[in-house]
Amino acid sequence: MVSSERSSNQLIKQIGQRFSRRGWLLAFFLLDLLIIYGIFNNDKLIDAWNFVIRGIGVTIQITIWAFVFALIIGLITAFGRISKNVLIYNVATFYVEIFRGLPLLVIILIFAFVVTPAIVDWIAQSPFDDVVQVIFGANPETISTTALRTRDIDSVWRIMLAFALTYGAFMSEVFRAGIESIGHGQMEAARSLGMTYVQAMRFIILPQAVRNVLPALANNFVFLLKDTSLASVVAVPEISQLTRQYSSNNFRYPEGLLVLSFIYANLTIVLSTIANYLEISLQAEKREG
Amino acid sequence: MDKSPIISMKNISKTFGGFVQALRNVSLDVYAGEVVVIIGPSGSGKSTLLRCINHLETADTGEIWVDGIHLTHKSTDINKIRAEVGMVFQQFNLFPHKTALENVMLAQQVVRKRDRSEAERVARIQLEKVGIPEKADVYPAKLSGGQQQRVAIARALAMNPKIMLFDEPTSALDPEMIKEVLDVMLDLAKEGMTMVVVTHEMGFARAAADRVVFMDEGRKIEETTPVALFENPEHERLKLFLSKIL
Repeated sequence: MVSSERSSNQLIKQIGQRFSRRGWLLAFFLLDLLIIYGIFNNDKLIDAWNFVIRGIGVTIQITIWAFVFALIIGLITAFGRISKNVLIYNVATFYVEIFRGLPLLVIILIFAFVVTPAIVDWIAQSPFDDVVQVIFGANPETISTTALRTRDIDSVWRIMLAFALTYGAFMSEVFRAGIESIGHGQMEAARSLGMTYVQAMRFIILPQAVRNVLPALANNFVFLLKDTSLASVVAVPEISQLTRQYSSNNFRYPEGLLVLSFIYANLTIVLSTIANYLEISLQAEKREG
Repeated sequence: MDKSPIISMKNISKTFGGFVQALRNVSLDVYAGEVVVIIGPSGSGKSTLLRCINHLETADTGEIWVDGIHLTHKSTDINKIRAEVGMVFQQFNLFPHKTALENVMLAQQVVRKRDRSEAERVARIQLEKVGIPEKADVYPAKLSGGQQQRVAIARALAMNPKIMLFDEPTSALDPEMIKEVLDVMLDLAKEGMTMVVVTHEMGFARAAADRVVFMDEGRKIEETTPVALFENPEHERLKLFLSKIL
């Protein structure tokens, strides 16, 4: 009797400890319910919601594509940053320092108004003109009479490189730290068995390094998702841009911004919770081995 | 001996960072089937010498021939030689993201191009040989130091090397685990494996070595049979060293 009482007390204590660190999540969840209730019972909020949510596809599109490109760019750059080749090292470092040094907003403006038009002009005069026009949805029957113009290119793709290159620079540092966190003995053991540098990287170093940096990569994904709101300055129709449009057209700033915050907070908190869970399970794995 | 040595090192010198002279004009021949033990105080260059044999360190000057291949020549494919030379490290260096079995299988598949079932067959034989077949599916972090080192030996043996290098294989182990590793090494020596061993285990040197090399400050001071070395040391430095560790 006594022991079962004690164990049930312990259980309550354990549950209490667990939930005392989750109070903010509970509060957030309740607030969420309140806002959802509001959205479905308040005509102005429904209005704002219906207008803004049309941009969710674009927000997700930028986030996912830019993240995939940034992963590839980041991994390649990380190898440049640990390269013993002086030229490769300096090129990689130059790129990382420039893109980490400029504000993302400035990079977006540069790509939207300088780099993309320059690339378009170059393509328009090159033999690939017709092919690129078809890719961006031109009518194949008229392409021979027209040249590629900047406005033919979907606004999302005009600024995609700005996000991919900026986050590529950040993620190259994440990958580099991950690779350097693996002790030198691992590379020596792999090489002593006759593996080449590339084989040792692929089978021994990278699998361990990537596992170590998974939480950091997940965090970068969340930051990237939030930063896509900056694309609104060049009129990309993602949720922030649509909110600005809706609010200034109707003078309904509170409604628009409430709906916008609701969407961002739900996306990021779900993703950060996953990132946290990743981190905790990796730590537990390390403890157990 | 009328045979030519399987490892031949001629006048090896090596400097670290332009200051620290790790090896000064060291020459060493090892013949097939021999067990050579290198002893000496820390910083004497014995590990560096060993690591030169499979090119984990590059000698500044001198020539190294392994199994008839000129190691210090630029056009030599170093990976081919490394596959023939097994190495066991002080810190084990098992791959922590792979099970014991996978540790022993991986290089066989990647380097020797054996198919999965063949690699697994060889791996299980080697784990049996080092006495821990039951730990095949366990990750390194769950193994004791002695067990980890035995998996590391199995991993090297699975490549069917002609030469085995041991770099202080028992120095990171708890005292009670040293014997299980030394026993595996003694068995290997009995089977006629060519071995070069850097160690502080004088018992092993006595029991298994054909020759013992004593090094100090990057130089080879003495090279003789274990009996002569322990019973009748010539140099003062060696006498001092032995008096401290025996």
